[in-house]
Amino acid sequence: MIRYLLIVLFFCCGALYAQVSPVTELSEVNLKYIKLKDSVYTTTQTVLNDSVLKRNQSSLTSLLNYNTTMYLKENGLGMVSSPSFRGTTAQQTAVLWNGININSQTTGQTDFNTINTRGFDQVIVKSGGGGVIDGSNAIGGSIYLENILEYNLGFENDLFLKYGSYNTYGIDYKTSYSTKQASFSLGVSRQGSENDYEYLGTDRINKNGQFNNTNISSSFGFKLNTRNTISFYANIYDGKRNFSLPTPNALETKYDDFNTRSMLEWVSKSKNLTSNTKVAYITENYKYYPNIVRDFYTYGDVGSLFVKYNLDYEMGRILLSGGLNYNQNNGEGSDIEHEIRHLGSAVLGLKHKVNKRFLYEISLRQELNSTYESPFLYAAGIQAEITSFYSLKLNTSKNFRIPTYNDLYWEGLGNTYLKPELSYQGEMSHVLHIPNASLTINAYYNKVQDLLLWTPDVNGVWRPKNAENVKIYGFEGLLTAKKSIAAHNFNVSATYAYTVSTNEKTNKQLIYVPYHKLTTTVGYAYKKLSAYYQYINNGEVYTTTDNATDHILNSYMVANFGLEYNLGRKNANTYILGAQILNVWNESYESVLNRPMPGRNFNVYLNFNI
Amino acid sequence: MIMKKNLKLVAMFAVILLLQNCTSDDREIRVDSPPPSGDYANGIFVLNEGGYTYSNASVSFIDNSGQVYNNIFYAVNGRLLGDVAQSMAFHGDKAYIMVNNSNTIEVVNRYTFESITTIEQDILNPRFMTFVGDKGYITNWGDPADSTDDYVAVLNTETQVVINTISVSEGPEEIVNNNGTLYVAHKGGWDYGNTISVLNAATETITSSIQVSDVPGNMLIHNSDLYVLCAGKGDYTGDETLAGLHKINLATNQVTDQIIFADGTHPRHFQITNNSLLYTLNRAVFKVNLSDFTLPTTPFFSTNVQNVGQLNGFKISNGNIYIADAKDYVSNGAVLIYDLQGQFQQNYHVKLIPNGFYNNN
Repeated sequence: MIRYLLIVLFFCCGALYAQVSPVTELSEVNLKYIKLKDSVYTTTQTVLNDSVLKRNQSSLTSLLNYNTTMYLKENGLGMVSSPSFRGTTAQQTAVLWNGININSQTTGQTDFNTINTRGFDQVIVKSGGGGVIDGSNAIGGSIYLENILEYNLGFENDLFLKYGSYNTYGIDYKTSYSTKQASFSLGVSRQGSENDYEYLGTDRINKNGQFNNTNISSSFGFKLNTRNTISFYANIYDGKRNFSLPTPNALETKYDDFNTRSMLEWVSKSKNLTSNTKVAYITENYKYYPNIVRDFYTYGDVGSLFVKYNLDYEMGRILLSGGLNYNQNNGEGSDIEHEIRHLGSAVLGLKHKVNKRFLYEISLRQELNSTYESPFLYAAGIQAEITSFYSLKLNTSKNFRIPTYNDLYWEGLGNTYLKPELSYQGEMSHVLHIPNASLTINAYYNKVQDLLLWTPDVNGVWRPKNAENVKIYGFEGLLTAKKSIAAHNFNVSATYAYTVSTNEKTNKQLIYVPYHKLTTTVGYAYKKLSAYYQYINNGEVYTTTDNATDHILNSYMVANFGLEYNLGRKNANTYILGAQILNVWNESYESVLNRPMPGRNFNVYLNFNI
Repeated sequence: MIMKKNLKLVAMFAVILLLQNCTSDDREIRVDSPPPSGDYANGIFVLNEGGYTYSNASVSFIDNSGQVYNNIFYAVNGRLLGDVAQSMAFHGDKAYIMVNNSNTIEVVNRYTFESITTIEQDILNPRFMTFVGDKGYITNWGDPADSTDDYVAVLNTETQVVINTISVSEGPEEIVNNNGTLYVAHKGGWDYGNTISVLNAATETITSSIQVSDVPGNMLIHNSDLYVLCAGKGDYTGDETLAGLHKINLATNQVTDQIIFADGTHPRHFQITNNSLLYTLNRAVFKVNLSDFTLPTTPFFSTNVQNVGQLNGFKISNGNIYIADAKDYVSNGAVLIYDLQGQFQQNYHVKLIPNGFYNNN
């Protein structure tokens, strides 16, 4: 109990100190042009950008692990990784690339170690249901990977070089050129590691864990005239990983990912109308080699076309939105029958700012398809500014997750009669804002029905079915604060989540959902020197559905420390030299059973920005 | 004022540093103290295979008084057994445990359970083991995705070194010895098998092959016959076939009798006792009289009342029927004991995914 009292104490005490911290909460947006995806008014979003992206390791796993309430299940550093967001399953977090849902059509989830954050300008984490806007899988929350096109900035170059323990390297280069009318950027990132760390407390090392990946992202924007803008975004990810061995004599395996994403966007604005048309095509391809000495592999391959049209009509304090979405998936695999499926949806939304202090929003979505039952989704919420420093948000939504290609079309086992998972949730947020500090406290309830699971039948054969219902509730605290004393600048950002996620039938906590998770980042800057310390404190998780204590993963605390010095002139081109100690206290820990993570290790980096 | 603020700052950092050390150590692998005699004798071992890649296989021991000792390998040797314990075999005072996904065989003293050695060389996906004289014969799948590299490893049980490997067709599962003639059931791994290889232990060569139904897994020798249970291919293969129970004369290696199962039924385990053959189908146990050898129409008894999730292991020993319940494969399992009339007697808690019983009386 004392432990949680301390956390509360920490939040109260922290809130006295304040200002812009690395993790910024999205500021209140004017009710002018709002992209349909914005439902920020009545839910919570966290924006991760700039130095946060650079100071964290390049994988989306590491970034989110240290800066959000999400639990990341990582099969050893760099290996397959999936989230549990607000007590939900790996498939119940949607990942969107510039507004396009990129969760794998075969598995339903995104492997967070196949997303290189260096390819994006910002990563936004939205908590809670977002089915109406983000589509399938947005049950626990959504992650937006965003490239931002900027105009009239001239020629800019950014080079980031990093080298560390286990031959871990990172080379990131981004160049951009923009005029008043046109904008272009190209980013190339290459990451790799021998990844042969020791397993603390044993004489084993992480065998066959080497990986490397290359990410190329490019965007191009052109303002045709004052009303029309055309943009093009592209992303290629090529990742090669050997999978670390669960036991020393296990067969060595490897996994290749090759994903491409491209999108053309046309935004047209007139007096009261804004239309947004997106056409995107994404491909996902994996190859799994069950034995690296042989050429044999199994694969999955899906190409997906998205067409999204959205029209916003602004009428004084009211914003009306309407949208149509069409999505075609064309997939096959070693064990997946070749199938083309067509999914459509229509969306309607209303946002009304009644007065300076009160706003409500309602949005509706009807799914249209022939593959599975087409659910009707909704989201509604209010935001009320009660006092100058306190606002209240309420939100309720119905969300869904569609069955995957594996679920539907796996040869012999797939089941085309599956229903989508449905989630009904409600949430309340209290936002406290004082100069230089903000504290958000959320409480939520989420009921997930017809969970899509592969479960053994009476013969021990695993088959997909709508197996269970899950009841989730919890609360979260998100704090950011900043304080300056003379030339000394301090900032703190912290998150804490308490999560209860139980199987309705057995009343047992879901596996790999910790009751508690705490993250903290403390930053300090003095003139050209800055230092930061971040840690996560992850509560124990069960790995068996009977919550047996002999298969628990113990809680752990992992901390990183970094130091940076700016060699350049003040307010000019920067040359930053930095060094990090990761897992400072040499904690032995695992986020997935039998998958040890590295002990204390080091790296140095250099950042040129010209 | 500045002082006070600085004090708060210091206090805040102190709290931050305090908070970070809030970790617990709740994982508890309960170590049961060994039996008073010090030996795991006069009882039955239960092999718990553990979760795939989780490396949490374990061995439980139920003594004749009904006392259960879990995690005995860990208790005695201070380390975990490995990843997916497939089967166990006894030879003299030694027990050999095939740890499938670890690609190891753990050799222990069968009474003290003290580790003698771990066999790692020339072992790849070990399944089952039998003995002829001072040699052990271990079926290996090799690389599961390669249907041509399967073999039987020949082990010198004095040195615990693999001295030869005999290439066999895909998916060698159970292996039994009849006076120096070995029978290997080809269950199949990537594909599906339908043969029994006959192997001469002295010459270490395959002498013939017996055709049976698809997916032969379990074999037992009773009197002068070999009984083979073939599960048949499941519906998920896209080519479902009928299960079969074959009786093979050991002198001629000819199938002399057989039972072909009904469409869509896939029996998993069988045992022989008192001129009866008991097999399991889903959650029920059926009885075949060996004299008339015909397919029973009604179950002998069902485990539904005891709410068995997965009937994952089946053994008749000491006049009892032992059933391993693997639950949902993601929970600690149970052992249920029935008498030979099919009456439920007793229920014991064991560990993750129990799959087999080995009498140590």
